[in-house]
Amino acid sequence: MLGKAAEASGEPLDEFLGRVEHLFHGTTLGTNLLLTKRGAKVALLTTQHFRDVIEIRRGVRNLGESVFNQVRAPYEPLVPRHLRFGIPERVLHTGQVELPLDEAAVEQAVRTAVTEDCGAIAIGFLHSYANQAHEHRAKAIAERIAPDLHVVCSSDVLPTRGEFERFSTAVVSGYVGRAVSAYLQNLEGELRAHGFAGSLLIMLSSALMQTVDQCHDRAVELLASGPAAAPAAALAVGKSFGHLDLIEIDMGGTSFDVCVIRGGAIPTTQEAWVGEERVATKMVDIHSLGAGGGSIASIDALGLLRVGPQSAGADPGPAAYGKSDLPTVTDADLILGYLPSDFFLGGEMSLDVDRAAAAVASVGEPLGLGLEETADTIFRTVTVNMAGAVTEVCTKRGHDVRSFAIVAGGGAGGIHSAAIAEHLRIPTVIFPTAQPVLSAMGMLIMEIGQELAKVGTWDRTEVTAEELETTFEQMTATEQETFRRMGVDLAEVTLTRSIAARYQGQFHEVAIDVLPGDDRETLIQRFHDRYEEIYGYSLPWRAVEILECHLRGSVAQAPPARLAPAHEPPALEDARTGDRRCYLRGGWDDVPVYRRELLHPGHAFAGPALIDSRTSTILVPESFDASVDEDRNVILHLRDATGVPTSVRAAEKVGA
Amino acid sequence: MSANGRPEVDPITLSTVWHGFQTICREMRAHMERTAQSYLMAVLRDISVGLWKADGTTIAMPEGLFDQFLGARFVIEDIRKKFGDELYPGDVIVTNDPYHGDSPHLPDWGFIRPIFYEGELLFFTLCRGHVMDTGGSFPGGYFPNAYDIHAEGLCIPPIKIYERGVECRDVAELIFNNVRFRDEMRIDTQAMMSTTRFGEQRALEIVDRYGPELVDACIEEMIERTERAMRAQIAAIPDGTYYGEAATDDDGTVLDEPVWIRVEIVIEGDEMTIDFSKSDAQRPGFVNRVLAATVGTAFGSVLMMMDASLADYHNEGSLRPLHIVAPEGNVTNARYPATVGGSPVAVGGQIQDAIMEALSEALPHRAQAAWARHRGDYTFSTDPRTGKPYVRTTFDYDGSAGAVAGFDGATGPVVHGVVMRGNVEEAEVRFPWKMLKLEIVPDFMGAGQWRAGGGVDWRAVNEGAPGRMATGSSDGDEMVPRGVLGGHHCPPSRTFVQRGEEIIRVKPHRMQEFQPGDVLIKLSSGGAGVGDPRERDPEAVQRDVRNEFVTLEAAKKIYGVALDPESLEIDDARTAELRSGPATPVEVVIDEENLTVGLREPA
Repeated sequence: MLGKAAEASGEPLDEFLGRVEHLFHGTTLGTNLLLTKRGAKVALLTTQHFRDVIEIRRGVRNLGESVFNQVRAPYEPLVPRHLRFGIPERVLHTGQVELPLDEAAVEQAVRTAVTEDCGAIAIGFLHSYANQAHEHRAKAIAERIAPDLHVVCSSDVLPTRGEFERFSTAVVSGYVGRAVSAYLQNLEGELRAHGFAGSLLIMLSSALMQTVDQCHDRAVELLASGPAAAPAAALAVGKSFGHLDLIEIDMGGTSFDVCVIRGGAIPTTQEAWVGEERVATKMVDIHSLGAGGGSIASIDALGLLRVGPQSAGADPGPAAYGKSDLPTVTDADLILGYLPSDFFLGGEMSLDVDRAAAAVASVGEPLGLGLEETADTIFRTVTVNMAGAVTEVCTKRGHDVRSFAIVAGGGAGGIHSAAIAEHLRIPTVIFPTAQPVLSAMGMLIMEIGQELAKVGTWDRTEVTAEELETTFEQMTATEQETFRRMGVDLAEVTLTRSIAARYQGQFHEVAIDVLPGDDRETLIQRFHDRYEEIYGYSLPWRAVEILECHLRGSVAQAPPARLAPAHEPPALEDARTGDRRCYLRGGWDDVPVYRRELLHPGHAFAGPALIDSRTSTILVPESFDASVDEDRNVILHLRDATGVPTSVRAAEKVGA
Repeated sequence: MSANGRPEVDPITLSTVWHGFQTICREMRAHMERTAQSYLMAVLRDISVGLWKADGTTIAMPEGLFDQFLGARFVIEDIRKKFGDELYPGDVIVTNDPYHGDSPHLPDWGFIRPIFYEGELLFFTLCRGHVMDTGGSFPGGYFPNAYDIHAEGLCIPPIKIYERGVECRDVAELIFNNVRFRDEMRIDTQAMMSTTRFGEQRALEIVDRYGPELVDACIEEMIERTERAMRAQIAAIPDGTYYGEAATDDDGTVLDEPVWIRVEIVIEGDEMTIDFSKSDAQRPGFVNRVLAATVGTAFGSVLMMMDASLADYHNEGSLRPLHIVAPEGNVTNARYPATVGGSPVAVGGQIQDAIMEALSEALPHRAQAAWARHRGDYTFSTDPRTGKPYVRTTFDYDGSAGAVAGFDGATGPVVHGVVMRGNVEEAEVRFPWKMLKLEIVPDFMGAGQWRAGGGVDWRAVNEGAPGRMATGSSDGDEMVPRGVLGGHHCPPSRTFVQRGEEIIRVKPHRMQEFQPGDVLIKLSSGGAGVGDPRERDPEAVQRDVRNEFVTLEAAKKIYGVALDPESLEIDDARTAELRSGPATPVEVVIDEENLTVGLREPA
């Protein structure tokens, strides 16, 4: 990929890399390991008599399942019980050590873990957020005895109170950490070897960024780092249209990601479950489905055609790539004529139509379906699956999809997004110029962010503004040091302060901004006001507890240069490269094909049409009109979109 | 307009409106968690919410404890009858009265808000939860042996605590002067009222967007569809009468005498009648249920046994084909002024178990064994760190899920998964008890082809002042929940207070004092099993032994699987031999001197 970039800039790779100041990287490796259950075998060292915390998991039954759905398999913990070792030790919530760490027990547990072929050890002791000594000591012992093992401490991953959430997050970090860490170190090594002297910044699932060495102990923060930046790109594009309610979708080779942006806010959560695992670090709220260009079509036990979640990935890839006979979505797209056989990746790779046809036909045969019928069924099935995923995060949360616009990303997103929109009656689909690499675009435009949190050791109801100031000053020094290591000019860093506060006795906090010169009374009053704003009442008579200080540092990146608009756009016909035979609505038709690179602002045409580019193809179904805007985004409008219906009285009200 | 006179509804509007109401309920529960200060409500989710039409028709009921909300149409009907036209926007009605407000027991306070749109009453919303205190002779609730309902605490009939958005101060003052923890109670009741206001706002957003006629058409359409689907489910069950029964150890007043729930479920075509006539008569002690609570528990239990494809849709339509017979004066339909304080656990749990037992026979492919009984208590003392009194209860010391046909029960879930457990770390900050242990005990669950989730050994030491506890929310020392289709019952559970060398057994439905340094020990069994354990996959048994869910001895004697004690390899020949012979008569019991769980051949 970098080779291509260098080529495009006309420089040798080493020279090109030598000029790069910041390199941003995101990966889906962690998520893939977790979802496909291919992570390390993990052992858990935990406080004696509490080794079942991750199995009992606060009584959560099946995730998101109704109480009226009881016939379900029970949860199986990532670490089976015989690999969970109780260690005599005890720290109290004050941080005081009540029972010293039994180091011999740690040694023995580590040796057993090695005998059992574990690749990672997670260490989670009670109250370690208040005193990390035992966890860190156990880690040192483990690393001495088993230097090859990946060792994770719960208090490093998530230094907050609540052992279930902390232990679970640590176990997941151990499960994916070894592979993720090795991958990143390898990546950085290769880059340095090729002359890279800038800073390599890793995108986190929270959409914040950190350096490679910071990732080692907290690999869990990279779980879904690949897609985390895409919503920022989608929002930037949406804003240029005045659309603040967006469904960002990204369809790649193996997965389909959806993020619902409402009112211009990118949703984050600390309540996430990834697969069946609780991960309590902050994440951009993205829903993922095993559907992509590489998704494999098969016949299930009931004789129905299914697509995914298994994927042929990039290697061996779809049958059309010539290295397998796996019938995939990409093969179906090729058979249906949507994908060009001779212009895939701009002609860099030719697709094997015969091999794709043989693979697709083999799925349809038992069902008595012909080739194009089978391909069409695969196309429709994967569309319905993806539409279902959109429904899951939008309709099922009570949002009417018809008032949203889709911003489509991913290599396979071009062909399938309009079909999803048609299925759900979503009126607008936007294909940004960066459509195949939406996440990369996000990383280039979003802020470089760092967040620090500090749990106070002060008296929660009495803490003074001066005490908070001292804490913030210490945090500022730490954060500035981090930015310095990232190679960021401190003058460009914006720091914002907030505190987490609640009424005495409550369990959840509200974030309150802290401004220069705020005294205690101002902060408390701001809390009452903010609480009233969120919950509709306040309790001025009740004491307010201030629990944490939060510091967010961010660096804005320069907005991407806008393309100079051509004064007189060339004729649309100049962008047309010919026709392609496509199977649409149950028959073959010749469909006009345009080259995206030749389309200019102001161009518009009706579907059906295809838009090929070097990296992707867009299918414009018959029911859509396409147009190109000033930023060369391609926009599709559903011609007979009905909008949101209202009954008589509501209509009158709107009219009035 | 369609044939039935309602506006036509397109599928996307239908789906959006429908899920919109379900989402409101989930968000209301989250709103409550974020604003309450009671451990039970904010952390453990002992709260229920829902939305009803103006006439009491159930719209959405995705979340909650069955007896707290599935019978809510009763209280809405009572409110309509009592207030007539004198309901206004901004009103909030509070009640905890089992006899006039259909509350399961006094600690469950319900806040009900009528929702108006352009002057027209469209909906009611309810938030009901177990509050910290409700007066009476002991804090928190679940104390046994009160003389009558008035001795159980402050009994509030449906009255307005807010009228047209203004607090009725005299009423509030009277209420808060009669409960303990008045500041904390004010925070939690404020949270509940604000939760209903949040529900109102969100419901009105939907009405604003689509208009009341279209919204109502969506509701009616979903109710009709759900009713059709529910009737098809019932019609698929062979006609006939199915029987189930369950008992509690005693009623807390007449000690050590079990109280029985006996249910006959009659399937006739697409209708189901749930008949409690053969259950025991109402009791002097606090296990009595009022009708609304019985109906709520019974409805929920039946719906849990229905096909999962209906799970996200249940509403009034699901309830229409169900009929309850519970004669007045029966323990399932108690007459004023009977005490009801313990009834959410007993006989609420027994109503549920009896229905599941009966329906498991009717629907063996969806058979569900009983879950573990609660091992709860309400502990009242002083926290020396703050000098303030506290009341503690949790689900942390409860057992686990029963097995279902095809799957083992989960370890950990409580109350069928609608409530949660806490974290040790939070509990230790909130209460002066240091946790010593929370660990799964081998063999301490109902065995079966599909076994139950694990039972636990829970221990904590009192670092606070002397105090007392009420064990009204415990059950299952003697009368254990039962397995189905040949699955084993739950083993019996036990609670002890260890004071130095002395071990004091604490039965359910009792009061017990404790001292500083006392260790509270709860051996709390897992759920019950489904199917004959000797038909369990030997590899599953092997896995259980490796993970210390099952001992080698139980593998052999209960499951008929022989394993090499060192390598845990399965001895196929010996296993076949064990399984062809007669089953070893063996039961899981608690050694009350060593406080351990083991196997014993019955005398």
